[in-house]
Amino acid sequence: MQNVKRYEMLNKLELAEDEYVRVSACADKLTESFKLLEGIDTSGAEPLITVLDIQNVLREDVCVKTIPREELLAPAPDSTGGFFRVPKTLE
Amino acid sequence: MDCYIVDFHAAELGVGAEVALEDSVMRKGLPAKAGSKILEGFIAPFDATVVTRLLDSKYNIAGRIGMNEFGLPSLISAGTNDIYDAVKAVSAGVVSYALCNDVFGVYRRRAAEEGICYLHPTYGTVSRYGLVPMACSMDQIGVACKNPDDCFGLLSVIAGNDPKDGTMYPEKSYVYSKTGKELRIGVPAAVLNQADEGTKESIRRFAAGFTSTDMELKYFDVYKQVLYILTCAEASSNLTRYDGIKFGYRASNYKNLNELYTRTRTEALGVEAKLAAIMGFMVLSQENYIPYYEKAMKIRRLIKESLRFGEYDIIVLPTKISDDSYENLSLFALAPLAGLPSLSFSFKGCGIQLVADAKNENALLTAWEGVKNEI
Repeated sequence: MQNVKRYEMLNKLELAEDEYVRVSACADKLTESFKLLEGIDTSGAEPLITVLDIQNVLREDVCVKTIPREELLAPAPDSTGGFFRVPKTLE
Repeated sequence: MDCYIVDFHAAELGVGAEVALEDSVMRKGLPAKAGSKILEGFIAPFDATVVTRLLDSKYNIAGRIGMNEFGLPSLISAGTNDIYDAVKAVSAGVVSYALCNDVFGVYRRRAAEEGICYLHPTYGTVSRYGLVPMACSMDQIGVACKNPDDCFGLLSVIAGNDPKDGTMYPEKSYVYSKTGKELRIGVPAAVLNQADEGTKESIRRFAAGFTSTDMELKYFDVYKQVLYILTCAEASSNLTRYDGIKFGYRASNYKNLNELYTRTRTEALGVEAKLAAIMGFMVLSQENYIPYYEKAMKIRRLIKESLRFGEYDIIVLPTKISDDSYENLSLFALAPLAGLPSLSFSFKGCGIQLVADAKNENALLTAWEGVKNEI
């Protein structure tokens, strides 16, 4: 498959050489098999977004207690003062 | 009793343990890693709705159990690295039930091979709240256990509308029972011909117990492509949340935010997840969106609309047609692509799976009742 490097970069990934070889080979096989779709006539067909035949599921706008801030921050690798902590983004 | 199963270790489970949770179903206070290093350190902050319902009905949660990373198929290893500990645990009698998410058929196939069964319910009948998402339009929690009667019993506990999941049918509960109707079994000969002789004979003998009719599964030749294109697109989107900031693993060596993201994801995502992420971004890219992603969504509609459940009640399929895991995806694509229920089990020594119309699990139960003394 062309552009594996590009999609790797967009995914914030850096594949090791052996991984790159294995992923590229499998991507080639998959992309080759996708060519079979070209022979299917889909004119007039709308994309199927969801299999459910229900729409606009709404619920009452009621305030409920959500998960406390400290519980949501607890699994974060780093947090401070009630916020997620990240490396400096501006010099 | 709660106990913590890192993987399948029978000795770690105590007496009274009943339901094991695949590593993607959240139990408050337990890790939920979905089989991935990227969720290392993440502790579920709440119970999945299915867990709440089980606890309310006095079931014991045995703990969590190993799985493929995010439930993705092992295409690079051609299926040899599949992890289906839930099936092993039930088969060995360590637990009575396991709740799993089976989009790609890993559990449906292995359950039949191991002599137990797997029930994949209609999409939108079991809440996905508290399930680590992989492909949201197809993710669906199902039940592995030793016999289908018990599967339906547990399904009746966990199924029913949940306001926390906006993609559900409105029914608050479901009653699963045998129907008095004579079943018509649809047998797709072109698919059956790809199976080995033993499986063909098993399916013939299964169908002989009912009124059967030949039928065509239109678009079967592209089922696996449509399934993989749509699932890798959805999975790639879901995988973007794993950035080392909010939860889970974070690389220890980085100089800036970009390096934090890249090193975290590179070090902690497995090769199958990387493949899905890359393929997903490919099919969603500007140049490939229309020929791949949009086309697959259109074919998904054609597949759903090509079914004729008025002419048959159940479609019977093999659980294996090839040693290649990608080829076998075709067999398991129909249920997730069209949101249909499916039941797989061993019949006359070979794996078979039954697929019924949406919300017609009772046809599956009726079919099982019709053959359960002959398996």
